[in-house]
Amino acid sequence: MAKLSLRNISKRFGDTQVIHDFSADVDNGEFLVLLGASGSGKSTLLRIIAGLTDPTKGDIIFDNLRVNRQSPRERDIAFVFQSYALYPHLTVRENITFPLALDKFKAWHHIPGISAIARRIFGSSKEVAERVDSVSSMLELDEYSKRKPGGLSGGQRQRVALARALIRNPSMFLLDEPLSNLDAKLRAELRGEIVRLHKLTGKTFVYVTHDQVEAMTMATQIVILHNGIVQQHATPQEIYARPANTYVARFIGSPPMNLMSATVADGQPALGRLRLPAPEGLRLGTGPVTLGLRPEHLTVSADVDGPGLPGTVRRIEDLGADTLIGIQPDRTLDLKLWELNQDDLIWIRQTGQTRLMTGDPCTVALNAGMASYFDSDTGANLASAAEVSDAGMLSSHG
Amino acid sequence: MATQEAHPVTEHAPHKRRLKAPGKRNFSKPVRVLMLAALVLFSGFPLYWMLNTALSQDSELYGQAQGWWPHWERLADLGDVIGTVPIFKWLTNSMVIAGGTTLLSLIFAVLAGYALSRFKFYGKGAAGFLLFATQMLPEALLVVPIYALFASLGLLNGMGGLILANVAFTMPVSVWIIKGAIDAIPYEIEEAAAVDGCPRVTILSLVLTPLILPSIAAAAVINFFDGWNEFLLAKTFIAERDLWPASVGLASFIGQYLTSLNSVMAAALLFTLPALIFFLLVQRRIVSGLTAGSVKG
Repeated sequence: MAKLSLRNISKRFGDTQVIHDFSADVDNGEFLVLLGASGSGKSTLLRIIAGLTDPTKGDIIFDNLRVNRQSPRERDIAFVFQSYALYPHLTVRENITFPLALDKFKAWHHIPGISAIARRIFGSSKEVAERVDSVSSMLELDEYSKRKPGGLSGGQRQRVALARALIRNPSMFLLDEPLSNLDAKLRAELRGEIVRLHKLTGKTFVYVTHDQVEAMTMATQIVILHNGIVQQHATPQEIYARPANTYVARFIGSPPMNLMSATVADGQPALGRLRLPAPEGLRLGTGPVTLGLRPEHLTVSADVDGPGLPGTVRRIEDLGADTLIGIQPDRTLDLKLWELNQDDLIWIRQTGQTRLMTGDPCTVALNAGMASYFDSDTGANLASAAEVSDAGMLSSHG
Repeated sequence: MATQEAHPVTEHAPHKRRLKAPGKRNFSKPVRVLMLAALVLFSGFPLYWMLNTALSQDSELYGQAQGWWPHWERLADLGDVIGTVPIFKWLTNSMVIAGGTTLLSLIFAVLAGYALSRFKFYGKGAAGFLLFATQMLPEALLVVPIYALFASLGLLNGMGGLILANVAFTMPVSVWIIKGAIDAIPYEIEEAAAVDGCPRVTILSLVLTPLILPSIAAAAVINFFDGWNEFLLAKTFIAERDLWPASVGLASFIGQYLTSLNSVMAAALLFTLPALIFFLLVQRRIVSGLTAGSVKG
């Protein structure tokens, strides 16, 4: 029902530029996640879409209609707040009914007490009661319907907030870090719930989070923001496999992508003395590049003389199904790790347990076919940069 | 038993013990009851003495010492004394004035308190400060200019004018009470209401007002008693005996040569009752913690 287009959105608070020239198109039914660290401008962007904050510049377009001057209600959106923002004086059921009851609001309901009576009569009508019942049973809130928000747990409160958003059947759902006040187990549970609601309603969802797990598991599209600037707008798979720049490479993935300084001579990259095969479909010139490899694209063996990077095991983190192994590369390699690599180690993810012990010498083998190459100055992914210049496009759209 | 001695059972969780401020301790129940009884006696005795005086003989009051126990048999005579003045008319007037003052003052206070709490505008600080202009000067000083103003506006000798003047004196405090209450309400609730489709006025009446009800009740008590007890303005502005509020009516008992103390006290008792009932009705609303559970702190 609603296609969302943002055109050159900028926002300043005094001297601080919070969002720089943001443009994006979101098709109907997409689940867009705005992902970024705190202060990246993601919440401000969501509030601008909702109409709770005005942009300094730019247009917000819903289905070819510019809605900049419309109130949140006129935009037909629902907003779920991080802090739930329930009406504390109303019961769960009254909270859910509230948006519907407002449709029938008359001026004389302003007289104290009248509106409460009017709402009660309205809420007991068959049609409304059925609608509220179906939404509250969908979110398993039936047994709490008479309680007030004060008597609910955090997870239950956020369910009520979701129910309040659902009841009006809006054309778009905006969610501002709805799960970050919940504990890990509840978070996983509600994550599934929200994905289910997205499938069920088929509406556009815009979801703000700083949690990459939420982004990767829920999104159909992710926008990564950093200091108000879009880093990448693509599908989760694309972002994971081909990060647009070193920031994205480090932001997504746990542990993040290993970044190493490599040199290229005649199109052939080398890590220290270790020569790597030239990447397919990408012509590297000559000079320094940054090479990125995900932890799962590296393997480690105790065979010291095998092909690969010699090093020493420094850390072993057993996660049960997986093991993370931190390797310190041999100093004689003259290998420069990217300054932000965790503890100056190369991290490897291996399924199952390892026989290696801390302090063991070892060899790291690289799956060079999976490597990403970044410009050593700008940090931009050389592959996507090449693609852009080939296709003559300006965005890194997935 | 030995284990109990090793781990004495306490009413408090251990951390509460540790958190308790030094020097702060709970009094035992008999002590608390005694202290409360003393307080009740202290504040209730004047009321009792009013009743006692009302039921005493003139000769007792002016001659011999007044007895400790009221003469209940004089109850019937009192009705006759009070019947000589239109006391119920005066009490009704007081009701209208106090009620009108409370209502008008609260409406203004909620609107002004909301504006002072939520809006940014030029001169906001000054506006909040100027509200207290009427409080900064003694009321007696302001009576003369207000009298002149009301005379030219034709507001003298009527309850409407008196309500207006009272509101000017009682509203500022209410505005600040309400402003403080609205400050404490998380802004997200208003935003949620805006998304649900409330215009601002509706947010105020449907969402905020129920949440600040305790503060509104507190402000109502202050306003009502101000209006109920107000004497100076009423005495100055209202000449007609039938329009007097009870406060002025009561004072009229005090004659130049003769003051019938027992009838003054009888009327005063009647004067106290409606205010007491109002307070009992409203004070139950003065509870806190209504916003619990709305947003995560």
